[in-house]
Amino acid sequence: MSSPDVHELTLKPITAHSFNGDRTKLAVCPNDTNVDIYNTSSSNWTVEATLKDHDKIVTGIDIAPNSNRIVTCSQDRNAYVWTQENGVWKPALVLLRINRAATFVRWSPNEDKFAVASGARAISVCYFDEDNDWWGSKHIKKPIRSTVLSIDWHPNNVLLASGSADMKARVFSAFIKGVDKKPTPTVWGDKLPFNTVCGEFQSGRGGWVHTVAFSPSGDVLAFAGHDSCINVAYPNADGNPTVITVATPSLPYLSLFWANEHQIVAAGHDCAPVLFETSNNQDWHYTGSLDENKKKVSTATSVLSRFKTMDSRGSSDNDTDLNTIHQNTILEMRPYAGTRDNVTQFSTAGVDGKIVVWDFDPSRVVKDMSALRL
Amino acid sequence: MILLDYHNVILQDTLSARFESEKPESLDMTIVDFDGVLYHLSTPESKTKIQVSFKWGCFSELINYGANDILQREYSDMLVSPPQDGFDATLALDLESLPQDKDARDAIIRKISLIKRNILAAPFERAFKEQEQLEDEKQANPTPELMAVHYREDEAIYVKASQDRVTVIFSTRFKDETDRVFGKVFLQEFVDARKRQDLQNAPPVHFSTREPPLELRHLDLKDSEEMSYITFVLFPRHFASLDVREETISRIQIFRDYLHYHIKCAKAYMHTRMRARVRDFLKVLNRAKPENANVEKKTATGRTFRRS
Amino acid sequence: MSNTLRPYLTAVRSTLTAALCVENFSSQVVERHNKPEIEAQTSKEVIMNPLTISRNENEQVLIETSVNSVRISIKIKQADDIETILCHKFSRFMMMRADNFVILRRKPMDGFDISFLITNHHTEQMYKHKLVDFIVHFMEAVDKEISEMKLSVNKRARTVAESYLGEASRLFYKGY
Repeated sequence: MSSPDVHELTLKPITAHSFNGDRTKLAVCPNDTNVDIYNTSSSNWTVEATLKDHDKIVTGIDIAPNSNRIVTCSQDRNAYVWTQENGVWKPALVLLRINRAATFVRWSPNEDKFAVASGARAISVCYFDEDNDWWGSKHIKKPIRSTVLSIDWHPNNVLLASGSADMKARVFSAFIKGVDKKPTPTVWGDKLPFNTVCGEFQSGRGGWVHTVAFSPSGDVLAFAGHDSCINVAYPNADGNPTVITVATPSLPYLSLFWANEHQIVAAGHDCAPVLFETSNNQDWHYTGSLDENKKKVSTATSVLSRFKTMDSRGSSDNDTDLNTIHQNTILEMRPYAGTRDNVTQFSTAGVDGKIVVWDFDPSRVVKDMSALRL
Repeated sequence: MILLDYHNVILQDTLSARFESEKPESLDMTIVDFDGVLYHLSTPESKTKIQVSFKWGCFSELINYGANDILQREYSDMLVSPPQDGFDATLALDLESLPQDKDARDAIIRKISLIKRNILAAPFERAFKEQEQLEDEKQANPTPELMAVHYREDEAIYVKASQDRVTVIFSTRFKDETDRVFGKVFLQEFVDARKRQDLQNAPPVHFSTREPPLELRHLDLKDSEEMSYITFVLFPRHFASLDVREETISRIQIFRDYLHYHIKCAKAYMHTRMRARVRDFLKVLNRAKPENANVEKKTATGRTFRRS
Repeated sequence: MSNTLRPYLTAVRSTLTAALCVENFSSQVVERHNKPEIEAQTSKEVIMNPLTISRNENEQVLIETSVNSVRISIKIKQADDIETILCHKFSRFMMMRADNFVILRRKPMDGFDISFLITNHHTEQMYKHKLVDFIVHFMEAVDKEISEMKLSVNKRARTVAESYLGEASRLFYKGY
């Protein structure tokens, strides 16, 4: 596969995307109420199913890699868990008990729980209620003061990080009695009843926290906000965590993940994934862009289309394209291949309707910042 | 066309068509002109006898300033008395008794199409005469009358002779803000134009907005933001010889319509410009829209294809 | 371009580039609503501090940003009556065509001549950097257009006045 592997699925924004465990299927939402399931086993991706039960824009999709269940959430305040029976996807409504839009959803590592972020200033932690045979939920409410924009699970299946529009990133316990076994103590604490606040971090210079991610070990939390900063938080036993803030001159980041313990990839309004690195956990710094920023070679256009652009735009040359692969904001970025502590490929979904699968290759970083500018 | 015609073009065209056509036809036609003037062309008796009637709101005022004398002087043989019902003056023409000479015919046509101008000339001619008298006899100031012609609703021309000059004041109304501002710009240029070397001999122009000039103070005119007053001062050199005098009268009469006509033209031009500019803006905005170059299209047979 | 215009437009350009980082955001106050937060003004925390960029007291841009929408209000230079009229006419002319100018607000904000409202839907369908180009181009062109229109009115007025008085004046010479 040539890298980066670009697939232009639609011209509308892709609000969420998720590959299945063996990367043969992809679920995306093309900025409407449907979720399209693509078959990605050949190089030409085709839609093989469409999930249609939501009635507002779908905001989050996650496919559990092992159990192959899809969870979707939407601005219509609902979430569904879809299971495939005889080739047909069947929805099961989740009792979220929220009255505002759901914004984000993720399965826990063990795939027995998932968390739904919402505009109701709450996170619904959902689990399967065997007695009633439905998906029930418990709410994490305090001390969230605004819409929750993103969440990430700690590898121990109990801790949950959240980023919200009240400019804070937080770490909560999402321990559900009867589902979870008592977790082993971590740097975030040892006694962890549900809704324990294990950490609360102010976004560097004040900005909505768009994305949060635990490091592969789960001991460090990274988050990025609308202030264009990347923050890395190290909890301390004395309760005073160390937060390293890396300010960047670029536009805000909307998504980030850890490629390994000392490399973070972030992407957002600048339309290109960028790399942050550290050698000793203290010198976090911006390294460069993973997009090579090749100047597009304009293809020869027909005389007809040249006249058409002349008529509609008043100029015959069509220099609208950006130099980056994504032509608009990158909304979501997820690891594609490799392990949690050594990601080798990752995928991005953008407002331009593209899904791009990239090789994670730090040697090809473009260090020149000026190339990033428009 | 920068200057307006003094005569009525429709009247002229209609009459010359009649004069030249072989076969007379009956005629019933109403023509309107600037300042609420109404013409009525008809053939009440026979197809060869054309009657031209004229009506103007301020005719009674003009009679006071000697309009009848002018009518007699200019149109004596054509004048019908009494005029057609509902009109102020009526002229009659017999197509069968027209002179054969083309120039003579044209002169008749021209004279008829200038009827409005000729009637309105009355106060001017009178003022010029008064001024001459004042200058000649060096009498002890007989106060000449301030002649007012309310030729439009809310708007009037005032003419007054004094010892060494004749003052002509137009009052005109700009109904909306734009006209008012444009009017100010135009009028300022009338005032400034005289500063040019080659225009030194033109009559001086003054204008004021809202407040009427001193000459009109005693009339108790209502103050209004919408009103403007334009004063022309005519010196004897502007009406000493006959052809200059005729031209001066014609020229000064069309002032108000000339001004408003060009303000309208300026507004129309602005509109065209804005239209073009907005179209240009839309094009710039369109550059922000991605092109759907690779959209699948269907042929008539239902096959799909892509056009790049 | 004059020396003060360039930094002014550059400031507007960079501010807009940053301000236009908007995303889809559903109302957290009203159930199942998704409205431009800058217009709804219901959640304080998703609205940023408004920012004014001014070249002088007559030329200003107010940029109000929120999580899913940006409102840009422009005060256009008006040195005298005729420029005020022309500016008023022009902005009204454009606002009557707001449907074509998808990002144009039908009513300007108080104290401004023209306002734009850009929401996440606009940035999703259009290139953000070209939207910024458009606003900057508009600011640049509208000043030029108004001064050109003013010049043309003056020029016409001069020609009109001179030909009215001029022809007559030539005749007066002849009369002597």
